[in-house]
Amino acid sequence: MPTNRDLDRRGLLKVTGGSLAALGLTAAGCGGGSGSGDGPVTLRYAWWGGEPRTIAIKKTIALFEKKYPKIKIKPEFTDYESFWEKFQTQASGGNPPDVFQNSVAFLRKYDKRGVLMDLKSQADAGNLNLKNFRNGVLTAGQVEDKQLGVPVGANTMSLVVDLKVFKKAGIAPKMGWTWDDYFDALQKIQDTQKIAGDTGYFSIMYLYDLYLRQNGKAFFTDTELGFTEADLTQWWNDGYKRVKSGLVADPKKIEQVKPKSGLSAGLAASEFTWDNFSIRYEGEGESDYGLAPIPTTDGKDTGQYLGSLMLSAFTGTKHPKEVAQFIDFMVHDPEVGKIMGYDRGILATTEQYDAYKPADANNKGVAAYEDEVSAAGVLGKITPHPSGADVIEAAFLRIGGEVAQGKNKPAAAAKQFFGEAKAAFAG
Amino acid sequence: MTLVKEAPAALGTGRSAAPAPGRRGRRRETLVGYLFMSPWLAGFLLLTAGPMIASLYYAFTSYNLFTPPQWVGLDNFTTMFQDPRWQKSVQVTLKYVVVATPLKLLLALGVALLLAQSRRGQALYRAAFYLPSLIGASVSVGFVWRALFSDDAVVDRTQKIFGLDWGGWIGNPDYVLYALVALSIWQFGAPMVIFLAGLKQVPRELYEAAEVDGAGPLRRFWNITLPMISPVLFFNVLLESIHAFQVFGSAYVVSDTRCGPADATLVYTCYLYQKGFKESQMGFASAMAWTLVIAVALVTAVLFWSQKKWVHYDDNTEAAK
Repeated sequence: MPTNRDLDRRGLLKVTGGSLAALGLTAAGCGGGSGSGDGPVTLRYAWWGGEPRTIAIKKTIALFEKKYPKIKIKPEFTDYESFWEKFQTQASGGNPPDVFQNSVAFLRKYDKRGVLMDLKSQADAGNLNLKNFRNGVLTAGQVEDKQLGVPVGANTMSLVVDLKVFKKAGIAPKMGWTWDDYFDALQKIQDTQKIAGDTGYFSIMYLYDLYLRQNGKAFFTDTELGFTEADLTQWWNDGYKRVKSGLVADPKKIEQVKPKSGLSAGLAASEFTWDNFSIRYEGEGESDYGLAPIPTTDGKDTGQYLGSLMLSAFTGTKHPKEVAQFIDFMVHDPEVGKIMGYDRGILATTEQYDAYKPADANNKGVAAYEDEVSAAGVLGKITPHPSGADVIEAAFLRIGGEVAQGKNKPAAAAKQFFGEAKAAFAG
Repeated sequence: MTLVKEAPAALGTGRSAAPAPGRRGRRRETLVGYLFMSPWLAGFLLLTAGPMIASLYYAFTSYNLFTPPQWVGLDNFTTMFQDPRWQKSVQVTLKYVVVATPLKLLLALGVALLLAQSRRGQALYRAAFYLPSLIGASVSVGFVWRALFSDDAVVDRTQKIFGLDWGGWIGNPDYVLYALVALSIWQFGAPMVIFLAGLKQVPRELYEAAEVDGAGPLRRFWNITLPMISPVLFFNVLLESIHAFQVFGSAYVVSDTRCGPADATLVYTCYLYQKGFKESQMGFASAMAWTLVIAVALVTAVLFWSQKKWVHYDDNTEAAK
């Protein structure tokens, strides 16, 4: 350790007179210090998420360190947005965490930038087991022939509903219900319960993706957008009409309760989101919340697929073997499964899935929901998003919000979105 | 910023030119002077000047932090000028500068006039009025502001008393910017202190003479106070507008990091930040930064040019004393 420190300092001095960009890189490089060889190894592990996730992950880290006393884990955590800002800065300086939480939206982006390790090599070397994944969810971490992430959980888009309001309005959503059924239900809620039905469905990229899939398209192809400006104009046009008529909650009100959700704040009776997020509503809001099926176009196909949070590794890590051992432990160890529960989605491997028996209604609901969806046979195949998908998701949310506020006409908004998407793909 | 930072440097060289025995001794002294300056100099070169020069280069490149920058000439600037979001950010920023700066200075001057009179416990009042400026820039105040200006919070309830059914300002693209303006005005402490110092400098004899001539308080303010403190006013206008152009923190926090809703609080620096750190278009962001530098420089130049018309530097007052 000490030798390394000295080297870094000397290195720093050397470039002092040189270019500043180089200085930035070296300075960033100082943080990663850890010896190689037989001594103790330190891995940096980064993730995003709320407090419950952080508490749980820290417990799993303690378990790992007990089993592998020679490997020390240095945790780094923050919320989603800052996570990726920080990650980008670190990665560009050649100093990202050794192992980190990742999602399908960032695989191509950071593969293109040469940051992600292909974990197949470590699997071949016997340091990482890529078997026993449920429902083929392992493919969520693959781009072309590379395994760039190993899923820790599987999730899917869902409709979270305020159970009390839905019950009072006499609505019982069924698998295969259509969009017409859904909007009729919202109308009924508005008429009888005097509350908006939805929090703003038309700005959610992943929901629009499902709608497109129901109609034989998809939000993304491998390299670009899979729909037309006219499609989007229509989608936002309908959405705006529903804001005007009060079916969808007033965006001004939704804006003010952030970061709380409009659903848990009691501004609307339902919201589309990932099923593993549904657990948050119970803590935030005062009603009871449950999961309902995604509305369909043809009475059958929901367009759903299993998404996933995964663990990825930095291709330049000094300790690829230890990183692989760490990932292996985190995805397969039954105890880890018991601690994490469904916070990052339904546990991805059979070992962990079998070990964890959900006790509370929420987690049970999530499990039942995915059982129901997979039993219905509607699960499609996930496509790794093109580079720039994260920027595009943010643009979709923002421009959709402008439409909702009446600050942008749907046609102009769609045009602007396509322009921004083009720039994001190029970036 | 640069102006302020250069001041100590000028001071340093001035000192070292002070009396010295011989040429050799003088050179030695200069060297020692530079040595003492070196921590500041190193910081300035490495952390300010260097990155600025680098960003000037990046402004003419396409650079995503990962692949080496590619020279694109003026492309960043041409796309920028055509970018509707950039135009929007310019519009939002100008509106903010034009509304917030005069109001803030007006309040600062008003309070300074009250505090300039000698009265019991005046020191306490000065401290109390200055206080918001100390905490105003903090993130927590941003959160407080968000809470104050939401539906059914203090502001909403107060305006309802007056029959104004505007709702909370935070979620409304038409009002939210004024919540930021209010936050800026509330931090009037710094210009107030400067005004106060200026007011204290105005010779009492002028007022006495005017009073003898029968000038009322308004007349005295208009014909004596204002011209006499015009250099201070000029300084405040300059400093506050430059600050206002660079507003970031309040917009970022009050809008829950999105500079919205509907880009209503998309101030210039916020868009710059989004382009650089969220969309990794560092070249574009650098181009934006340099455009801002030039714009602020132009505004400063116009202000300096205009001072001939309205700023009153009276060198005779010292002699008169």
